Amino acid sequence: MQDLQLVMHGIAVKKYATVEDICSITGLKERSVSDLVVEAVTKGRANEANGKYLLTPTGQITLKSAYTKAYGALRSDGEFIAAYTDFERVNNDLKQAITDWQTIELGGQTVANDHSDADYDAAVIDRIGDIDERVEGVLTRLGQHVPRLLRYREKLLSALEQAEDGDIRWVSDATIESYHTVWFELHEDLLRIMDREREES
Amino acid sequence: MTSTPFEGRWLLALDGRDLPEKKLIGGKGWSIAHMLRQGLPVPPAFVITTEACAAYLQSGELPQGLDEELLSAMHWLEEETGRTYGRGESPLLVSVRSGAAISMPGMMDTVLNLGINAETMQAFADECGDDRFACDTYRRFHELYGEIVLKATIPELGASEALTAWRTRIEEAAGQTIPETPFGQLKATIEAVFRSWTSRRAKRYRKHHGIPDDLGTAVTVQAMVFGNLDENSGTGVLFSRNPLTGEPVPYGEYLRCAQGEDVVSGKFTPQHLDDMQSAVPDAYTALINAAGKLESSNRDVQDIEFTVQHGKLYLLQARTAKRSPAAAVRIAVDMFREGVIGIEDAIRRINPDQVHSILSPRLGDGAADKAQVVASGLGVSHGVGIGTVVTDADEAERRAHDGEDVVLATATTSPDDVHGMLVARAVITEQGGSTSHAAVVGRALGLPSVVGCGEGSISGLQGEVVTVDGEHGKVYRGALAVVTPCETDDGRLAQLLEWAREHSPLAVYRPDEAPQDTLDLEANDDAADPANLPALIQGARGARGGAIASEQGVKAALDAGLEFIVAEPTLPALLAAIHTGGTQESSPSREND
Repeated sequence: MQDLQLVMHGIAVKKYATVEDICSITGLKERSVSDLVVEAVTKGRANEANGKYLLTPTGQITLKSAYTKAYGALRSDGEFIAAYTDFERVNNDLKQAITDWQTIELGGQTVANDHSDADYDAAVIDRIGDIDERVEGVLTRLGQHVPRLLRYREKLLSALEQAEDGDIRWVSDATIESYHTVWFELHEDLLRIMDREREES
Repeated sequence: MTSTPFEGRWLLALDGRDLPEKKLIGGKGWSIAHMLRQGLPVPPAFVITTEACAAYLQSGELPQGLDEELLSAMHWLEEETGRTYGRGESPLLVSVRSGAAISMPGMMDTVLNLGINAETMQAFADECGDDRFACDTYRRFHELYGEIVLKATIPELGASEALTAWRTRIEEAAGQTIPETPFGQLKATIEAVFRSWTSRRAKRYRKHHGIPDDLGTAVTVQAMVFGNLDENSGTGVLFSRNPLTGEPVPYGEYLRCAQGEDVVSGKFTPQHLDDMQSAVPDAYTALINAAGKLESSNRDVQDIEFTVQHGKLYLLQARTAKRSPAAAVRIAVDMFREGVIGIEDAIRRINPDQVHSILSPRLGDGAADKAQVVASGLGVSHGVGIGTVVTDADEAERRAHDGEDVVLATATTSPDDVHGMLVARAVITEQGGSTSHAAVVGRALGLPSVVGCGEGSISGLQGEVVTVDGEHGKVYRGALAVVTPCETDDGRLAQLLEWAREHSPLAVYRPDEAPQDTLDLEANDDAADPANLPALIQGARGARGGAIASEQGVKAALDAGLEFIVAEPTLPALLAAIHTGGTQESSPSREND
């Protein structure tokens, strides 16, 4: 995709995105992103409010056709589909791990994890570490077709290591680029590449 | 120590006669040995020692002589269980676990069901009279072996696919072969445990915590027991006290003729322990006795996983039980009264968050009785939230910005809605379960959330004021009465409060007790950020307002030498002061602060 489209893609994945967010997700330089968001606004593709950008309906449509042009062939590429399918399977494990992070079973009832049991928390973070090892391989395969996806490897590992070092907000806090936030954006990115809808369970 | 044929240079059988060092046999092996020493029934096991790991790390291969010792040890396991490994009519299956003296992340997970192959699968099917289970055991072994030992993403077994064809596909996905014989699989699994000692996470953890790299891990090999062999077999979980209420009676569930996975899968409804008492009375008595023994030796409530095989009880795992905040308070006070623990222990077992949770606002008694339920679903994040229903995250953000209390109601939520969730008092969705985005994010934000209310169930609520009970999954029309429990209402909580007041290095007053010269931070916006507190409270005798009552605020108050702070409720701040003040050592999580 061209840089302008990539910036729009960054806005779409983040929804309310700052220039910093867009840089983080696209890997583009801050100077060019600052110019490109202005261009997107001028062309009526995005709106700005309080330093945050949001795609307009026109922007959404333009982006959708940019996806088809950039990724149309991938959607029927056997190798890519296989890697994507493997991601969805690892995704189920991650969702379960995050649920276990947030809730615990007490005699058959589900209650919120109050994080008073450091061993329990450490075991879940360890499981996320296992999942991370598995998704790393999947991302390598996906990255052979869409190299920018490889960025997620570092972002995931960085969140994981902060959690491993004891700052547990980095597991699933929705207000920072926690492991779950980055994972969710990766999933969103893949769904857009594949032109699929998220399935809720 | 008497020498035995199965005790060699590299491995040790655990027979309950002595308690080898944790450094040599690892934490998991040690806890098995510890249970055996207390005369508790545990499936037989042996340990490959950390010395074998050290040898492996040096040379890159399993040490000389380990093969012979492994064979003898497996032979011993066969004799102990009356079963045979990898062959015969009663096949012996084993589990393999990693276990260093200090547990750490990145170590290999447990591989179960080693010993199953085409031949033993058939024997096993005949023995338990269940072809499906034998086949599942074969599948589970290969899944775990592939995922954990070979680190592959396992292809799904096709509905009509032959097991051997699937096995070949795992080997293709892994780019490695699975050893033909169960003995070869055992060796490869042991080697994988040793390898995991040098994984990224394990190395990083040791560096971070100053643990020597040459300590090494042990490997525990344990016979598996089966709860699905007949009506006198079964599986279950026992808590030595009720983990929800703290009531001092054993609490648990049991499922006849079932294996652990059946309980977890939710396909079967486990029965009350009474059913176990009538099915296998001897095993039941042994279990209750074991629970008592474990509770008194560990001086805390135990969560015990067990299996009954042919009427005989086996304990699979015992650990300190997780408990609800209310149970934590009851158990701590009860155990002090029973003379099991001291006051200091009792106080230290309760953290400020648990008290906050007990004292958090909830629907008043009877408040919901006459209220109309306008939607109900799965309560996935606790708390009560009241506000006007809006169905769009952007609108939620705008209206909340203008000072209105809003409840975000959507079909499902996605990252597009997080900005609306951040400002909402509660969230409700039509679709989704306990792992849906709304549930995951709602819990992360501490936002009362009810999900899966059903399609079309909430769009009609737009503009109405509702009360969302995120614990019970109910949405009520109107704003219901909410009560905030008081820390002196409950007898045990009041007892804890009394103790905490005596032991806290910092006095905590209720607002009506506040001395005249209290520094008031209420009007100071900067005081909401605990990081600013040290500068603000410098030189004061006591303070109130801002973040002073938070855990970090209390720490700042102690560091600045304050005599007192003012808070409501007082118990969380007192506990925070005791937890931080008592010992000055910082936990790993604080090192980066």
